[in-house]
Amino acid sequence: MAGYTENELAKDLENQEYKFGFVTDIETDTVPIGLNEDIIRLISAKKNEPEWLLNYRLKAFGIWKEMTEPEWAHVHYQKPDFQAIAYYSAPKQTKKYESWDDVDPELKETMKKLGISMEEQQRLTGVAVDFVMDSVSVATSFKEKLGELGVIFCSFSDAVQNHPELVQKYMGSVVPMTDNFYAALNAAVFTDGSFCYIPKGVRCPMELSTYFRINAGGTGQFERTLVVADEGAYVSYLEGCTAPQRDENQLHAAVVELIAMDHAEIKYSTVQNWYPGDKEGKGGVFNFVTKRGMCENHAKISWTQVETGSAVTWKYPSCILKGDDSIGEFYSVAVTNNYQQADTGTKMVHLGKNTKSTIISKGISAGKSQNSYRGLVQINKSAQNARNFSQCDSLLMTDECGAHTFPYIECKNPSAKIEHEATTSKIGEDQLFYCMQRGISEEKAISLIVNGYCKEVLNQLPMEFAVEAQKLLAISLEGSVG
Amino acid sequence: MENTNKLSLFERNFQETTIPGLSSMHAAARAYLNTQDFPTTRVERFKYTRLTKLANGITPDSTHIDLAHLKKHQICADAIAVFIGNGKLILPTEELPKGLHIESIENSDQLPQTNTKDVFAAMNVLYAHTGVRISVEKNVVLEHPVEIVHVCSGAYAGYTRHAISVAENAQAKFVMTYASDACLDAFSHVHTTIEVGANAHVSMEKVQLESSALFSFVDEEVFQGQQSVFQINTMTLDGKLVRNDLHIQVQGEHAETHLNGMYMLNGQQHVANYTTVDHQVPNCESHELYKGIMDDKSVAVFNGKVFVRKDAQKTNAYQSNANVLISEDASVNSKPELEIYADDVKCSHGSTTGQLDDDAIFYLRARGLSEKSAKQLMLTAFMSDVLEKISVPAVKAKVFKTINERFNWELEL
Repeated sequence: MAGYTENELAKDLENQEYKFGFVTDIETDTVPIGLNEDIIRLISAKKNEPEWLLNYRLKAFGIWKEMTEPEWAHVHYQKPDFQAIAYYSAPKQTKKYESWDDVDPELKETMKKLGISMEEQQRLTGVAVDFVMDSVSVATSFKEKLGELGVIFCSFSDAVQNHPELVQKYMGSVVPMTDNFYAALNAAVFTDGSFCYIPKGVRCPMELSTYFRINAGGTGQFERTLVVADEGAYVSYLEGCTAPQRDENQLHAAVVELIAMDHAEIKYSTVQNWYPGDKEGKGGVFNFVTKRGMCENHAKISWTQVETGSAVTWKYPSCILKGDDSIGEFYSVAVTNNYQQADTGTKMVHLGKNTKSTIISKGISAGKSQNSYRGLVQINKSAQNARNFSQCDSLLMTDECGAHTFPYIECKNPSAKIEHEATTSKIGEDQLFYCMQRGISEEKAISLIVNGYCKEVLNQLPMEFAVEAQKLLAISLEGSVG
Repeated sequence: MENTNKLSLFERNFQETTIPGLSSMHAAARAYLNTQDFPTTRVERFKYTRLTKLANGITPDSTHIDLAHLKKHQICADAIAVFIGNGKLILPTEELPKGLHIESIENSDQLPQTNTKDVFAAMNVLYAHTGVRISVEKNVVLEHPVEIVHVCSGAYAGYTRHAISVAENAQAKFVMTYASDACLDAFSHVHTTIEVGANAHVSMEKVQLESSALFSFVDEEVFQGQQSVFQINTMTLDGKLVRNDLHIQVQGEHAETHLNGMYMLNGQQHVANYTTVDHQVPNCESHELYKGIMDDKSVAVFNGKVFVRKDAQKTNAYQSNANVLISEDASVNSKPELEIYADDVKCSHGSTTGQLDDDAIFYLRARGLSEKSAKQLMLTAFMSDVLEKISVPAVKAKVFKTINERFNWELEL
């Protein structure tokens, strides 16, 4: 048969190279490699932190030392040597820019390559970008406009200096330092991140966005994000990632905490495209992230993620539905190619009455990758009339990849209604045939089907992000998506 | 240094096996056990099953159960019956149909290699003393089922091992009856291997009517040849703690596997159903349906795994688990897993937990049914697709009778 066949598609997927692999030469201020109390004191001192935070870090370090790395995930990798990592790396120039013109041209170039030119973003999209380059914020925009509404959107370090009462109150309240190995590590050594506070009743007028980048080889990235939406507030927060090509594995252990008070709503969207390693599975980012949100009464937290990068992903954005009538949502597309491994999913913990959760997870495995969905739906005794709907679909592109589903469903309340369904299949030959007999080429047909397959999730992304997500999907499955 | 963890203390209750066919697995079982302690809820496979009471030690004491008493537990009057009362085997005395062989496992030297990567399965390899070896010759179609009646009483603790093989083109039905009375922290582990030859048809009905003071573990390992059809129905109706571990290896192409289960629990019962269907070759089909009703403070665990290996293209595997909680304190933990390494497959699973539809009950009540009858009707309808799969009429009658007695229902066949 002439035209584009599945075998060719598989070949194309294998041959496709990482598009964003480059290293920016900005002199970084890096602390000696290794991890001990002195390093933590040094990080804390460099950041001019108050004593309570230093104590918090040291306590977390003590807990971390007692913990062992989790091994239950369906991934195999060479464990990182935690003593061979530099735990702090900040761009040398710590001076805050007054205007966009002052920004290092090389940095501008980096962003241009990423297709996130700030001028363009500021002018066209109205997105306020807090650009995190190796752990320290170097540019913040739209701050004034947000300031008028009382919205605080700044780097985590600025928040520690300027709003210590808020940070102290909420930090670690959703993801305690004892939560897991990587959360404890993060609590001990986190360098920077983003902080966002939306006051009572305020609807944040723009999408807030942070572009994370990992730069400088051998530097672990330990971000910490805290988003607090006070009563009746609304915020849509975007997080997007690309990383330069590197041979050694890089560790990323971030913590994201969301707090939605009564009647508040937080929409958290992620597009993740870190370096996945090359065709032989060499290199790539280890993405071990703890993300969790707490919903009070009538609150809503919605996680949307498009995961195309990283060599190993270990990520479960979760919702604790503590308040009555609260809602948790999780929409995910995870694409793995070559030797990528992803173990991702969500946890929905129902505590309040009439709580609802929806899980839509779409996995696409290509090459020799392994893609797993792992999720927990827990209906506790107090969660009267809880409702959950989960759907986990997997699409297999080659005969060497794997797709796995590990859902945990725990129900302790008889009034709960829980539905879970999962399917695994390859692209339906009848679907392809249907498209092709209507004159659509095989390649286009595959693209159409994959797009349609992910639509439910892509539709959840804000406009600005949906475009980028589609681009990433296209790159990740180049050859199939037109 | 001598190992003194809870597991090795538990092991001291048992005498080493003398079954020659198990000796080839001893080293692997020993090696595995040496790395383990008594499973706690921190171990993934025992996450929802608390065994503290067992771990803290048992004091085994075996009493004799006479045949007349054992016979009371037999379900199928027309079956060829084997009895095991507190680990004591009684073989049938009547003449067996041509092509059927039943003997004690004690002297068997050829037994299939089985899983030793589970604490209890490994201990079974080391400590099993009793059990039967049943073989059905080629092309033989058995008219009546073979029933194995297991009865425990008192503080019995022991491992039982059966090996069943059904040769090519043969057809056989088995009924596994697990009953116990007046137990006192008793422990029973029964491991059965079932070899299903090419084109053979085998069905197994497993009826569990255990006592409220018995820890009952039942493992089956099934090896399916090409074009074979294997069906197993697991009906758990009573027991303090019942754990079923069903492992099916589909080794021949075009084989068909049916796994059905129903569990109706009340009181403080705990039932765990672990199933694995391991598709190793292409063009096979498996269907799994487990349904449960939980009352009072009972806990149900379902962990179904469909494993499709790289070469097992064109596999169709379906799995479904549905649960109804009818009391405030009951709970259910369901984990339907898919682990798939082949691309040209159709696999799906579904899991639901819910309660009876108020509208439907209202509809029935508006037509003059009492609330109790309306609920029973709904629950029976919920269970019926599993109950209909029971292939031995006597078993079906027994299941209905038990449900009626225990739950005070008025179901009719």
